[in-house]
Amino acid sequence: MDFLNYVINGALIGLLYALIAMGFVVIYRASKVFNFAQGELVILGGFIVWYTSFELGLNLWLAIPISLIASAFAGYLIERIFLTKLIGESVFSMVMVTVGLLIFLRGFILLVFGPAVRPFPIVFPLRPLFIGDLLIPMNLLIGGGITIVCAVGLSWFFNKTRPGLRMTAVAEDHVVASSMGISVKHSIAAAWIIGAVLSTMGAIIFLSGKSLTFLASDIGFAALPVALFAGLESIGGLILAGVIVGVAQGLATAYLDPIIGGSIGTVMPFIIMLGILLVRPTGLFGWRTIERV
Amino acid sequence: MDPSGIFSTSYRQDRRLVRTKWQVLTLLAFIALLFLAPLFASPRVIAIGNVMLISAVVAVGLQICTGYAGQINLGQAAFMGVGAYTAGLLASKYQMSFLLTVPLAGLSAAAFGFLFGLTAVRIKGFYLALTTIAAQFIFHFSVLNLPSSWMGGSNGVIVPAATLFGYRISTETAQYYMILVFTVILVAGAFGIVRSRFGRAFIAVRDDDVAAGIMGINVARTKATAFLIGAFYAGVGGALWAYLIRFVGVDQFTLFNSIFFIAMIIVGGMGSITGALIGVFIIRMIQEIIATVGPNIAEAVPFLGGEIVFAGMNMFLGGVIALFMILEPKGLMHRWNIIKSSYRIWPFPY
Repeated sequence: MDFLNYVINGALIGLLYALIAMGFVVIYRASKVFNFAQGELVILGGFIVWYTSFELGLNLWLAIPISLIASAFAGYLIERIFLTKLIGESVFSMVMVTVGLLIFLRGFILLVFGPAVRPFPIVFPLRPLFIGDLLIPMNLLIGGGITIVCAVGLSWFFNKTRPGLRMTAVAEDHVVASSMGISVKHSIAAAWIIGAVLSTMGAIIFLSGKSLTFLASDIGFAALPVALFAGLESIGGLILAGVIVGVAQGLATAYLDPIIGGSIGTVMPFIIMLGILLVRPTGLFGWRTIERV
Repeated sequence: MDPSGIFSTSYRQDRRLVRTKWQVLTLLAFIALLFLAPLFASPRVIAIGNVMLISAVVAVGLQICTGYAGQINLGQAAFMGVGAYTAGLLASKYQMSFLLTVPLAGLSAAAFGFLFGLTAVRIKGFYLALTTIAAQFIFHFSVLNLPSSWMGGSNGVIVPAATLFGYRISTETAQYYMILVFTVILVAGAFGIVRSRFGRAFIAVRDDDVAAGIMGINVARTKATAFLIGAFYAGVGGALWAYLIRFVGVDQFTLFNSIFFIAMIIVGGMGSITGALIGVFIIRMIQEIIATVGPNIAEAVPFLGGEIVFAGMNMFLGGVIALFMILEPKGLMHRWNIIKSSYRIWPFPY
């Protein structure tokens, strides 16, 4: 029974990772930018929610939509300031700009919101769900549902609709896409807006009823392995990859930590990530790129 | 490009590093200035100088790996940490002389870096950046979780002062000379490496690894070598750091520090040893200014709180990286080279 409990909770945490990784994948899928600052977007969203619900004292059902709109605006602003000028630049420039963004946002959040620990509103019921001996946290259960809905919806959007396919073309190649008459600028802006909104939703599910500090951004790095495992272009694959990574982490925490006496559970995603990088860098469902000379 | 009137008439002359009389004079004057600095500089300036010299060693290593060979490396601080721990443990447990521990620290860091260089054979770009970030996490995790009798765990390692012929190198000035000698040797070595066949292979692989392979360069070996050399420099820098601070802790070598080194070579200019040195100087100077001015601002504007130094440092660093990538991706050295060639060919347009 314990085992089942660990597996289910691991899977639900994995779905949370998948939601945060989804922000990463959407940004990559539509703009070919690897966003290292994903964790910072999550806490930026968290602080916006904190600000609207506690500092402005708004009702929760008003605060959450406002926060989502505000974070969409923040995503757009970041894209305008940092990334518009880099269309068609090398991978190195892109990686370094998002690394710069990571550091910059961390300083910015610290400066604007301060280092203090903040309360986070209770969005989902705190009482966990009991099924026999199983104990399932409500926030992760509902969050898992949201993740699956988002994944199916975005997957359909990117694979079946015209605007989605247009954005997919941008991820293939900026120059080719713009010569086909696709606006690379709009595509990247849309990607960052969706990415920022998804990050804020991830923050709400992750932090509901907990306390908020800027250390919560570590979840961005924990979500990277999920994105990589699924393959950077696959949104539907995130669910499977998230569940696998989450279960592996849950079981490692439960059974390996007492033996080794260390935090093997927290590094488990990175061990998986190194394995994927060495064996199959394109992940489970990623595109195989064929390089021509 | 040489100034007008200077022509190479032999291969030896053509591959010279220092080409004109003026360059010889200014170089000698600069080195003499570095060696004489402690006579007139205040202790605080020397302390800053020590940190700058060590950063210069590490940044030059990163420049060879990233700037010349084109391999993105976000784990340079972890490599530096491996060197620092090696030197610290060898010095404190086995009382080895620093003349032995510093090269050994370089070699152990090089071995660690080589492991990640091997992954660069298969993957590149973004995936490589991820792997080197993983190096950072692995370093952190293993130091904290291995038995603390091995590497001191979270307590760190206390390093004894370096001694040479019975003389303890413990004052700032003595440390300055020790670090300066190593730095001069390593930087001179870097100039040698980048114009040797290795350096030319690095540049070829950076520009196009497929084309480089077709020309007969062993791409896999070249990439691994780049990591090996870059990590060696980081390891030596780490060893010098251990002797300077006399304490090694895992928090001195974080991802944040790695990004600092990247910022240095971006500001200075990718693919130029001199650029790396200029970048080190500028970034460290501004860092020093923020550290000095920050507390005053915090005092004057109390609602910003005491975190302003750290927050300001973050915003400055992130802003500088993004700004240079957007506006001046080739760095300050590129700008200087444009100015230099325009005054050298004056009065002709080209």
